[in-house]
Amino acid sequence: MTEAGEPLDSLPGWPRHLLDVAGMSQVAVEEVMRRADEMASVLARPTARLPTLQGRRVTILFYEASTRTRVSFEIAAKALSADVVNITVAGSSVTKGESLIDTVRTIEALGSDVLVLRHSRSGAPYLAAQHFGGHIVNAGDGWHAHPTQALLDLYTLRRHLGGKGGLRGRKIVILGDILHSRVARSNVWTLTGAGAHVWLCGPPTLIAGFEGWARAMRIGDAASPASDASARGELSVTSDLDWALREADAVMCLRLQRERQEAGLLPSLREYSARYALTAERLRLAHPEAVVLHPGPMNEGTEIAPEVVTSDRSLIGEQVANGVAVRMALLSLMSAQA
Amino acid sequence: MTPPDAAEGLRRGDRVERLEIGDAWLVEPWSGREGRACVRVESGRVVGVEWLDGSGPRGGDGERERVEPSHARGILVLPGLFDLHAHFREPGGEEAETIASGLDAAGRGGFTRVCLMPNTEPPVDSDAGVARARAAAEASGSPVAAYVLGTSTRGREGRALSPMGELTEAGAVGFSDDGSPIPDPALLRSALAYAAGLGRVVIEHPEERRLTSGAEAHEGVPSIILGLRGSPAAAESGAVAAALAVLAEVVRDAPPGATPRLHLTHLSTAASVELVRRAKAERLPVTCDVTPHHLALHDGWLGGDRRFAWEAAQRPWAGEPAAALPYDPATRVNPPLRSPADALALAAGLVDGTVDAIATDHAPHREIDKSVEFGDAANGISGIETAVGLLLHAVDAAILDLMTVVRALTTGPRRVLGQAVAPRQLGGDAHRATATRDGPFTAGALADLVVIDRMERWTVTRESLASRGKNTPLLGRQLPGRVLLTVAGGRLAYADPQFLAADGTT
Repeated sequence: MTEAGEPLDSLPGWPRHLLDVAGMSQVAVEEVMRRADEMASVLARPTARLPTLQGRRVTILFYEASTRTRVSFEIAAKALSADVVNITVAGSSVTKGESLIDTVRTIEALGSDVLVLRHSRSGAPYLAAQHFGGHIVNAGDGWHAHPTQALLDLYTLRRHLGGKGGLRGRKIVILGDILHSRVARSNVWTLTGAGAHVWLCGPPTLIAGFEGWARAMRIGDAASPASDASARGELSVTSDLDWALREADAVMCLRLQRERQEAGLLPSLREYSARYALTAERLRLAHPEAVVLHPGPMNEGTEIAPEVVTSDRSLIGEQVANGVAVRMALLSLMSAQA
Repeated sequence: MTPPDAAEGLRRGDRVERLEIGDAWLVEPWSGREGRACVRVESGRVVGVEWLDGSGPRGGDGERERVEPSHARGILVLPGLFDLHAHFREPGGEEAETIASGLDAAGRGGFTRVCLMPNTEPPVDSDAGVARARAAAEASGSPVAAYVLGTSTRGREGRALSPMGELTEAGAVGFSDDGSPIPDPALLRSALAYAAGLGRVVIEHPEERRLTSGAEAHEGVPSIILGLRGSPAAAESGAVAAALAVLAEVVRDAPPGATPRLHLTHLSTAASVELVRRAKAERLPVTCDVTPHHLALHDGWLGGDRRFAWEAAQRPWAGEPAAALPYDPATRVNPPLRSPADALALAAGLVDGTVDAIATDHAPHREIDKSVEFGDAANGISGIETAVGLLLHAVDAAILDLMTVVRALTTGPRRVLGQAVAPRQLGGDAHRATATRDGPFTAGALADLVVIDRMERWTVTRESLASRGKNTPLLGRQLPGRVLLTVAGGRLAYADPQFLAADGTT
């Protein structure tokens, strides 16, 4: 057992970077969860500060607008006594300015141990990781992955749906614009990894292609050794919201962007709301104690009804608080490495 | 085997005075024969080919032996290979490749004839452009023949026909807007009809752009998992179907002696190949090619999978941790790497004759155009030097047979270009003419061949590539079949340094 802030040389397989949650070992996930618990108790103290990252620099480089994730990382890094540098690059100026590789090298040369990177291109953190001597935390890349969000969602769900079997066999619905969502993709990995049965639900145009992934996952699990196959949960895909919600233990709503209508993927936002918004009435189809999540930012009234957001089933506020604890856990785990 | 003039230090471009290759596995697609043979070259010309097994025209050693030459040395002798599709970037992109560096790379890869795609900056859409490219090839000193293609439309803009007559007079062997499709079916119709009057083929890059806007990868499970914008297979097969429909009507309306010919390049999907198969059954004058990378690689490579298509077909990549890092910009190419099933369908198309040729789509790029985020990286793979290795891999895996591969790299491309490369078009060079009609292993023909050490594996490295473009996902990978010697038109195009250093018979 390790204490918060203690070097983790004994932890095998802890990766140098956090680029993705796909392929993350269950041992590593458990360690994040355990350490997030510790960090949550630290945060509950009047002086919520640990010396873990004393003298270390964490650079937060965002190529996409974001408030919540950026601030969450900043609070987490500061609570670990890190020196925090914030760089926000407006999306349009990127192309005329430095290349990502140049920027990352400059940040390294200026002295940075951890680089928290958000980028609009899927896979950008992999490129950055090849040119950065420290640790990279992927804070969201294109449609691909949002590892810290998925881990904080997992942490939040485990606190509420914990029980004996954890999330094993629980029905968790991810609802909305799955196609363009890195949150959905990363949650598929972490939640099925925890044994949950994940249902992806949205209009057919916004879930297109995911049935192929679900099929490949079933084939893959069938071909794996029995122990692995039973460990991973199932993935299902449907455009029928009522069916998806039936007896669900949790519903995660995703943000719907106006652009989807302009791209011809939806007739109108109004029609989307009529058919796919999570309302109190629809939520009655779910398990009586089902919980509701949303990674934010929300369009209340479009993808989620205001009364659901404020209901006692909503964990949306708790997600934000847990985000800090989980990010502290991750930063301390990474920086514990040489 | 006696290396060519080992002692004198033969250099590229020099005539091969004396070369004797004893007991090699010779593949001769003109007669359809392969087997053990000796080949002798003197003063740049083939003076004798002696078959050692005394068998019939098909070799007669049985399937197993054709897949795996049984002779002791593992030396393979093929006719010089013909690449229908290469980008040498000159003018305008000389940092990525020049005509000289491209021809060097071609020789290194076993090619003695290369078609230069005209999508340079500016594009080759005038007689001056054709002349310039031909002069650059001549000035390079390489004996590898450069065949120049002109654009199909003026400025490659897809709005008006290029001056096809002028281009043909200047020596263009065909027309292509490659890199883009001809966007307007009415213009494609005109291009096919007009080029037919000149005896030239129109090479189309089939892509329905309205389905590929912003696309980064083949639309499939890997693109879903990796969060990359998908390019659906239908973008290609839809364009193929549309082009074939246009072709059928142009053929119907063509005057006698001016049969239009459509060549579809770098087909990458099973559906496209099936459409061509049906069109050929209806005797439409259509031909097509596929690339080595679409045959051997697949979209799992974007996720870091490094299995070949035939190894991945049973269980395609679905997000599990893989051999390499994902999002390698070297795997970004257009058309994108498709599914393993598509790759196998391309191979089946080659075997049954639906696919006429293998073309490299050699697309070198500058480092800075590839050292960026995957979605911002330039499309293309530098492939002219790895083609033989990838294809021999496919032969080793029994996906393709050697004769099919060699045909697709020799007689197939000639059939595609037709009269533009037929003997009478090649001026007074009667010997080269002989080589073209009956193959290069005819006594008296100018030697045009490639010698490959079938048993030796070589590692693809930046240094091993003559091309300026190092953009290949095969860096670090071992490939079978080392090219020892390439002789083009009786002259040395490439010789492995170790091979030249060796002396005496091997």
